[in-house]
Amino acid sequence: MKILVVDDSRVMRQIVIRTLRQSGHGGNDILEAENGRQALEMVLAEHPDLVLSDWNMPEMTGIDLLDSLRQAGSTVTFGFVTSEGSEAMRSRASASGAAFLIAKPFTPEAFDAALSATKVG
Amino acid sequence: MITVDQPAVQDVYSVVEEVWNTFLGDGVPILPGARDLPDDAWYSAITVTGEWEALILIAMPLALAGRITTTMLGLPEDDECSTEDLTDALGELVNIVGGNIKSLMPGPSTLSLPLVAQGAVTTTSDLVEVCEVGVVWHDEPVLITISVPKLAGGAS
Repeated sequence: MKILVVDDSRVMRQIVIRTLRQSGHGGNDILEAENGRQALEMVLAEHPDLVLSDWNMPEMTGIDLLDSLRQAGSTVTFGFVTSEGSEAMRSRASASGAAFLIAKPFTPEAFDAALSATKVG
Repeated sequence: MITVDQPAVQDVYSVVEEVWNTFLGDGVPILPGARDLPDDAWYSAITVTGEWEALILIAMPLALAGRITTTMLGLPEDDECSTEDLTDALGELVNIVGGNIKSLMPGPSTLSLPLVAQGAVTTTSDLVEVCEVGVVWHDEPVLITISVPKLAGGAS
């Protein structure tokens, strides 16, 4: 299984990867991208099984990344990992085709619940 | 009558406490308490624009900023961290705290990208501070302040 972690913060990418391991999903190939534009290219070239993306990023935001992926015909399972977990954000994410939204700060249990529900990772 | 849209101090404290316990949980609790910051404290800032507008600042001494960075990266506490990593960690910290505070307030609003710098940050005269939360972690102070435009805050 291949997971792409997208966040402009290297520190947060490390925390996400560590939390994947702590939640029992550490045995996957992990790819990293630091903004939506880079992630878009990586998804189309590397075909990951799951994208875990921040929302608020320079170059291209997470929601623009998701919309671009769907427009390009990608059906990759996509989840947000973001500091903004309001109902409005969750609705916006769901409307664009996100499978879940994990709000920061998060726990390994929240990761396991989200990933297990999607049957990937 | 002007409505003052500002988060409650207890709500902000709860957000900070949750962020600390989740991402920085090393067994040492954060405690409420305000203390003076050194002149060379590090500041991270993020703004909210839209239905609710605010500037959210987090300030702390360099030593604590370093501890937070190594903890977030999962490094031994005596490891030296680069300025790039420190800036990244403090920016992510204010992004998480700011995003959670934004979620408590009326929307829709947009969160900016964070800014991080060393040295006191002085807000412009059209902002008024409406919330201040001081905490202590590892015997070092952290100060979280929220300022809003004067019109929204109801101040003259």
